[in-house]
Amino acid sequence: MAKPSRMFEGLKILELGAGAAGPVATRYFADLGATVVRVESAARPDFLRLLHFKPGDPHGLNGGVMFVLMNPNKLSVSVNLSKPAGIAVVERLVGWADVVSENFSPRAMAKWGLGYERLRELRPDLVMVSSCLFGQTGPQRLYPGFGGQGSAIAGFNHLTGWPDREAIGPSGTITDSLSPRFVALLIAAALYHRERTGEGQYIDVSQIETGVYSLSEAIVRCSALGEVLGRRGNHAEDAAPHAVYPCAGEDRWIAIAVFSDAEWKRLGGALGEPGFARDARFATLAGRLEHEEALDAALAETTRGHEPYALMRRLQAAGVEAGVVQSCADLLADPQLEARRHFVRMHHRHLGEMDFEHYGLLFSESAREIRVPGPDLGEHNQQVLSEVGYSADEIRALAEAGVLE
Amino acid sequence: MLDGVRVLDLSEESGFLAGKILGDLGADVIKLEPPGGDAFGRRGPYLGKEDPERSLRWLALNTSKRGITLSLASERGRELFLELAAKADVVFETGAPGALDAQGIGYASLHAQLPRLVWCSLTPFGQSGPYAGFRAHDLVAVAMGGNAALTGDADRPPVRCTLPTAYYAACPEAAAGIAMALYAREKNGRGQHVDVSLHECQLATLVTAPGQFSRIPALRGRTGARLGGTREIWRAKDGDVSFGLRGGAARAPSLAALVGWMAEEGMAAPWLLEIDWQKYNHNTLSSEEVARLEAAFAAFFATRTRRELYEQALVRRIMLAPCNDAREILEQPQLRSRELFVTLDYPELGARIEHPDFFAKASGSRIGIRRRAPRVGEHNAEVYGELGLDGASLRALARDGVI
Repeated sequence: MAKPSRMFEGLKILELGAGAAGPVATRYFADLGATVVRVESAARPDFLRLLHFKPGDPHGLNGGVMFVLMNPNKLSVSVNLSKPAGIAVVERLVGWADVVSENFSPRAMAKWGLGYERLRELRPDLVMVSSCLFGQTGPQRLYPGFGGQGSAIAGFNHLTGWPDREAIGPSGTITDSLSPRFVALLIAAALYHRERTGEGQYIDVSQIETGVYSLSEAIVRCSALGEVLGRRGNHAEDAAPHAVYPCAGEDRWIAIAVFSDAEWKRLGGALGEPGFARDARFATLAGRLEHEEALDAALAETTRGHEPYALMRRLQAAGVEAGVVQSCADLLADPQLEARRHFVRMHHRHLGEMDFEHYGLLFSESAREIRVPGPDLGEHNQQVLSEVGYSADEIRALAEAGVLE
Repeated sequence: MLDGVRVLDLSEESGFLAGKILGDLGADVIKLEPPGGDAFGRRGPYLGKEDPERSLRWLALNTSKRGITLSLASERGRELFLELAAKADVVFETGAPGALDAQGIGYASLHAQLPRLVWCSLTPFGQSGPYAGFRAHDLVAVAMGGNAALTGDADRPPVRCTLPTAYYAACPEAAAGIAMALYAREKNGRGQHVDVSLHECQLATLVTAPGQFSRIPALRGRTGARLGGTREIWRAKDGDVSFGLRGGAARAPSLAALVGWMAEEGMAAPWLLEIDWQKYNHNTLSSEEVARLEAAFAAFFATRTRRELYEQALVRRIMLAPCNDAREILEQPQLRSRELFVTLDYPELGARIEHPDFFAKASGSRIGIRRRAPRVGEHNAEVYGELGLDGASLRALARDGVI
């Protein structure tokens, strides 16, 4: 096997935007060797730099925990886009870049004169991706919002939680974590297209639509049958037991999923044939679904005394799907994630030791690396501007004119 | 964008969406099923009577693919697989780690003879490590990946989404990994193995919570309708809406606009009107202050339907959204205006069904659904014909249970 190399060594990505949805997408490329430059400003900072900010926090814009975790390996250039000289700096950077990724609201780039039609004059084979909540067109395109609204509109909230409680949605506003993967996919596919044809292109992604697209099954079932899926806790229409069950300890749970009657027999065997394993009501999937409440209660009584990880290993060894409901602390100690080197602990100059994360892909011939934490605002002004041809005097003049703020 | 790329898609249900994405992006995706069809992947609900050709899950997630049948359990079937792989750019599979190599047709077995082939494996826990042999569909992956522990109410068990979000998180990532590996192959001529883990992909749904929770107490447990310390999901008259009670420059105008509307309706107390939303910081509120604010907003939301709230939200630029169900999504004017939905014909089923088409527009490529999901073995003659097999040979293979 060839020595692992950096897949995107030499690739240059310019990023404008904030939050998770845009910046997570470029992480894939940064971790695989691309140079990713964020254009930011102190006048309009990424809200993640201030997410947990309290007056008196000593590090100000550079102490945002989530920002630092989400943007490792990236360079930060601070540019005041309300000044024409600031726009000129961005234009110079566009000429340097292979990819521009932005996730502002649709008006912003056009307002600055940085729409695709202008940018392609500066870099004809540019790949540009815009990713906003609703997309660049349509009556609601300018409506402001965050991932919380995206998850709700796309349908994830309605499908997550308990039927008698609120439509809570999966933790973490899921369109914020789904849409960047789709953006990364489109950047990679567009770069592949460019390698083969020499052509760049402009791509308009709607974060909400990435969610609706993922939920194609719900849409198709509704269109075909008039069926409107809702919240059903942890239950499934084609498996039982299919839920999380209590274990020994405080707030400890194990997920168990049994699809077939053969798995049901294996579950009973692995648990030492408790009485319910021989209950005729539970012998078939149809019976288990019909008597699910009784089934859940009986299984919970059995799992309650078990240490969750030991029970997981025992059930998995017997060929039963089971997994501990892992907390954040559990994840940091998870031996499987350790084997994949998912977390990388690094020292941040303001915040101390921090656990940075990779995404879920491993390549056999391309290393993924986390080299440095997310940058301070404007940390790389000197380095990046000189790379695109500004002299030391020019950089000093821009700084004195308030352009690099 | 991926025109001319041929993908052999061996995936089971967990990977259906990844193959669909590649097909919708223009790749020639050939879906392999065992003879008779993928019984589990083609399970109900059905359109009408119980019939694998009527599985709505299958129809939803296998668009833009051609379909063939092939038994990898037979020697002849494995020979045919090798012939197909030799003409393919990508193999995508969801088998247990090592299962295909045990039959001599996995990545390790074939990489030397097919060095340009990109091979992507999507499995519950990845190809190596202590849990590599563990089994998981969605629920176990969501539990092990950390999302369930943070989803739901403190007084109830952790909970998941009705539909498999573990697959939705991993499939675009697998498709992205394949596109990246194809790009790398353009540079160096070599294919490689892309190892995707449902479990590891789940962690991204936590948006860095594992690195934050030691500093941010709100990330340590289930907070139900709250996000962090403040309420995010509210009861309207006829269902739920999402509205963040958090501050910051981007949200301040929205909070002020909502309070302005409440004042017009006579539902804003004097203390509420005195709040300077530009200076409002949710991180510094006491629990009493949070409770008072939440009670005021909850009382207002409870007097309006979701539609009434959303219509005013759009006019007044309030960051509020209805928690839509599938029917409401299909009726959403913004999505309609972008032609998100496409109607596909199923003449043999007497049906026309709407599907989400594609989530992006591209200036340089036609992207979106190319064809409906295949019937069992629909393209056997076409695909095996390319290998030089004629009708008589195909009939013999069918008789022997190979296709």
